[in-house]
Amino acid sequence: MPAVLAKWLRTIFFVDLLKGLLVTLKYTPQPAFTFQYPAERRPVAPRFRGVLRLQAEPETGAQTCIVCDQCAKVCPDDLINLGGHREPGHKIKVLDYFDFNLSRCSFCGLCAEVCPTKPIKALIMSEDYELGTYSRNEQILRIDEMYDGVAIEQYNK
Amino acid sequence: MGLIDHSFEDNFITTNLDRVLNWARQSSLWPMGFGLACCAIEMIATSTSRYDIARFGAEVFRASPRQSDLMIVAGTVTKKMAPVLRRLYDQMPEPKWVISMGSCSNAGGPFPTYSVLQGVDKIVPVDVYVSGCPPRPEALMYGLLRLQDKIRKESTVLRKERVIMVGQSEPTLVEGRS
Repeated sequence: MPAVLAKWLRTIFFVDLLKGLLVTLKYTPQPAFTFQYPAERRPVAPRFRGVLRLQAEPETGAQTCIVCDQCAKVCPDDLINLGGHREPGHKIKVLDYFDFNLSRCSFCGLCAEVCPTKPIKALIMSEDYELGTYSRNEQILRIDEMYDGVAIEQYNK
Repeated sequence: MGLIDHSFEDNFITTNLDRVLNWARQSSLWPMGFGLACCAIEMIATSTSRYDIARFGAEVFRASPRQSDLMIVAGTVTKKMAPVLRRLYDQMPEPKWVISMGSCSNAGGPFPTYSVLQGVDKIVPVDVYVSGCPPRPEALMYGLLRLQDKIRKESTVLRKERVIMVGQSEPTLVEGRS
């Protein structure tokens, strides 16, 4: 009988309800958890893979890509198309075009992994993830966008 | 607003009416969550309290197409799902918009196969394509902001016809090259 009585008393005094409300109450004085996106941008994880980016030498701005075509060969979906030509006086080939089809990209990072240039990698996965376009033609990135990154609209709301 | 669409010339009254209507439309986009694959997880994460898509007035994920304005196609659209998607799109009341979320929905992604639709824009007119595999919640919110920007510039009475891509819609990578 005492077990039945205890259960009856718990029901009368809403013990279980109060226990539950206590958990809710513990979270109430904490500051808001929401992260105000357009105003603040959360830093990405160190190994985050964003959109593909070509890198130039930081001091001189010279081309680092040696047009070895390895990224185009390793891409599982054939999204990269690049080419260059030899020029007298230049040690490496001059990069003419670098087309990248962003629309199918699955951000696997294989292209950046195989890039052999040292000490500065020519091809990296950048930290840009804000990619919204109005048409599919804008999702083909040409060489300028590959160097400078995709233009991001600033919305301050 | 189906009655006044394409009925008047562009003038002072209609441009101001546009501003009011577009403000109302862009700040209460009720999405129909069309979660089809892993992108759906990120779409759900966008509606959680951490990212809180309610700040843009787009938190009411409806299960019914009759109550929604925006279709977020999140994930791989298979050819078996395509007629269902089109029917649900047709059941949505005007005005309606579509966000294509993720590489699979944009272009078929890594599945150039017989069973996967190569881009959702072949069956429904897409307004914003959000790239990513899957896109971060921020990227989806960025896509939503871009859509709101697009709605703000829309004209109610001179509304453009929506187009669906016919045939080869994937832009060629080697445009103008030998």
